[in-house]
Amino acid sequence: MKKVWAVARNTIAQALRMRIAGVVIILLLILLPMMSMIMIGDGTLLGKLQTFSSYGLSLVGLMLCVLTIAISTFTLSDEIKRQQIFMVVTKPVCRWQILLGKFLGVVILDVFLLLFFASVVYVLTCLIPYMAETSPQERQRAQNEFFTAREGLKTVVDETELRGRAEERYRQLEKDRRLPETMSQTDVLTQLFNEERIREQSIEPAKSRRWDFKGVRPAADPNTMIFVRYKYDASVTPPDGQIYGLWSIGDLQSYEQGTLTTPIYNVPRDAPTRVVQEFAVPANAVTKEGYLGVGFVNSPELNASTVMVQDLEVLYKVGTFTDNYCRTILLLLIRLIFLAALGITLTTWLSFPVAVLVCVSVFAVGTINGFIVESLESLGTGVGMVYQFTIQPLLSLLPRFDGDFSPTKYVVSGRIVRWLFLLRAAGETIGLKALLLMLFGMLVFRSREVAKTAV
Amino acid sequence: MAQSQFAIETISLTKVFPDWWGRPRVVAVDDLNLQIRRNEIYGFLGPNGSGKTTTIKLLLNLLYPTRGAALVLGGGSSDPAISSRIGYLPEESYLYRYLTAYETLDFYGRLFGFPSAVRKGRIETLLDMVGLAGAGNRQVGTFSKGMARRIGLAQALINDPDLLILDEPTSGMDPMGTRQIKDLLVELARRGKTIFLCSHLLADVEDVCDRIGILYGGKMQVEGPVRQLLEQTGKTQIQTPRLSDAAISRIREILRQEQAECEIIHPMDKLEGFFVRTVTKARQEMQPTSGVGAGSGISGFLAGKEIVRQPGILDQLVSVRPAQTTVKTEVDTTAVTTQPAASQSLPHQDLLQMLTTSKTEVPLPLTPTESSSAAAQEEKPVDAVKEDLLQQLLDRRKKTDDTTTPTNHGTRGEKSE
Repeated sequence: MKKVWAVARNTIAQALRMRIAGVVIILLLILLPMMSMIMIGDGTLLGKLQTFSSYGLSLVGLMLCVLTIAISTFTLSDEIKRQQIFMVVTKPVCRWQILLGKFLGVVILDVFLLLFFASVVYVLTCLIPYMAETSPQERQRAQNEFFTAREGLKTVVDETELRGRAEERYRQLEKDRRLPETMSQTDVLTQLFNEERIREQSIEPAKSRRWDFKGVRPAADPNTMIFVRYKYDASVTPPDGQIYGLWSIGDLQSYEQGTLTTPIYNVPRDAPTRVVQEFAVPANAVTKEGYLGVGFVNSPELNASTVMVQDLEVLYKVGTFTDNYCRTILLLLIRLIFLAALGITLTTWLSFPVAVLVCVSVFAVGTINGFIVESLESLGTGVGMVYQFTIQPLLSLLPRFDGDFSPTKYVVSGRIVRWLFLLRAAGETIGLKALLLMLFGMLVFRSREVAKTAV
Repeated sequence: MAQSQFAIETISLTKVFPDWWGRPRVVAVDDLNLQIRRNEIYGFLGPNGSGKTTTIKLLLNLLYPTRGAALVLGGGSSDPAISSRIGYLPEESYLYRYLTAYETLDFYGRLFGFPSAVRKGRIETLLDMVGLAGAGNRQVGTFSKGMARRIGLAQALINDPDLLILDEPTSGMDPMGTRQIKDLLVELARRGKTIFLCSHLLADVEDVCDRIGILYGGKMQVEGPVRQLLEQTGKTQIQTPRLSDAAISRIREILRQEQAECEIIHPMDKLEGFFVRTVTKARQEMQPTSGVGAGSGISGFLAGKEIVRQPGILDQLVSVRPAQTTVKTEVDTTAVTTQPAASQSLPHQDLLQMLTTSKTEVPLPLTPTESSSAAAQEEKPVDAVKEDLLQQLLDRRKKTDDTTTPTNHGTRGEKSE
């Protein structure tokens, strides 16, 4: 371990000598405070906070990723190129110890830089409410929706049930001999399934809908609020683009049976379509068992069209902003650790420029991995076999940096990063992918002739 | 692994460099069988591109052999137990430019897993030893080539190795440094270390090596003890203090009677010796310098090993090593080179007696011969002078102006203080 540590220390010293480290540090030190000043967002305090934290963290993440790629691909390849490695591998150090030392060096440097810049973003974010002229309401909203760590419960669409309904309708159509002749069975089924899915979200005028959430466990504090997050869509967009809805929150199950165990909060909300909205009710709407009913009435006097309620989510505070912020930083660190392992492994057999190219490509694919997977899957049936055996396994080998793995998503909506999720992400990206990479790199490096010359 | 009798052994070691397509292109080392005994200073010679450095890289696992095997200290050098006993100085000092001299040595010390107290002690003595005690806090990127070389040598010695593999240790060094290193190598060998010295500075090799091998085209051309390879058994050399012309004529007279031809010259001092004396004098006068310092004697920790070598063994193996000869300030010896015939016939009884008895101790100075074979033409040192012979020669003073272009001089024994 002493030997690994010696290599790690030397790697850090080497990395600090690289100009790129200085450039990244100076750039971030200039850009971050500037961003905190000029970013407005949608004009509200919450918007400003969300915009700055989102862009700030993204920028720090991107810069540190670039720096990690540069250092990790440079450190070993440069030593081999300058032949300094000759005097290292001839010492009683195993090749894997050298690689591990390099890896540790890069990771330690990353940890320090990430800690520093995450603190800068944190401090600037916390300063924003004091710098801006805001109303107490706005501050309260920022406290509730941003400076918090909330658990989110989503409505679960039972896809098997939808599929069952679609199949039933298909059989009905078959019996009635009304199946379209030009379409294949799968196409018809897919279409029916999609119709069922839309129907599931749809609330026709003068109709109401109830969603049941179980396992809602907000903090015992009486001031705690429950947040309902949703997005409207309409079959026909109304002329003013607004949807008028009436929400009722509380123990709706008991209420319908005639008893009242919790207060029922009626909240009228009008909002434009396709924009995520959020409102709050006191947490005493939740029963002791953790049940919460969310009801929606499509009032026929106000709306003429069928309303679709999408992405319905119930949020409640479970932790503090600071704690959650640290977890999102850990999520970012996982990414850096993977890139460090990748860069060092690649240079065990590739030269610096080639390794950089591969690293950047992997990083780029990683940041849109979820999108690629989704789009390929929706293209679906035609490319089935080829896709399933070539691209899909390759993509799953690559890391995922987007979607649930993107740290900004959590900070912006004040959503908690669950430890379990963090552990899973770390296990998958570091424990599996990065580890396999490092082991492969050690194997390659062990059998490599470091003094190899091309003739 | 069992202790092999050889410090380095290669068995049909072959290295072929392929081209980009994997086709064999260059045979760098071809069926090389080296056997270097423990406690030996082996000079590995050859022109540029003859495969010396490739052999070293094969020994150290920096390259893998195409065929054959290389055993170092009885095993493979990738084994940490073996590599912890090897000191290696590459052909160039590939140092981390951003580290200071002290940090550099500290880094290599850490790679051996030495605790910090051991590292600190060793680094200080090593820096002192290689004459860089004042430059310990300077970044090695600012060092001259010779200074970097000294750091390279220090790192090779930090683990008190049993086997030293040195690739051109004196390249880029000033003559003082070269001399220090040569003295150091001899001293290290005296302390039981094996030294594998790769160089094309022939004078260096000749001065310190017990045995040499000459490599050409990846093949061993000739191998053997230096003395055996270089000695010109057909010639005799006598060296005396300055003689009167009368004495010289008398010697000529004697030799004429022996039917031997001779040339009488004033030997030139070697430029190295002259340079060393000049700088030593300047140092004694404490003139300031920003370069390397004088360097102390050998580092204390290197003495830790049991002395395997008998004190006199070097002398027997290589040539005469007088215990301590102080630097001569005036050179006024006259070398007398006799031709083969002289030692064959024997009319002048007493002189002949002296010439033959002195032969074992006085190596014969050689005049330069044809310049085709690389090492064999190098001069041979003259060290000891027989007192009584000198006396006798002086008694027969005679005048003569017969001095030709001088070529000879002492090297090995001429130790600077």
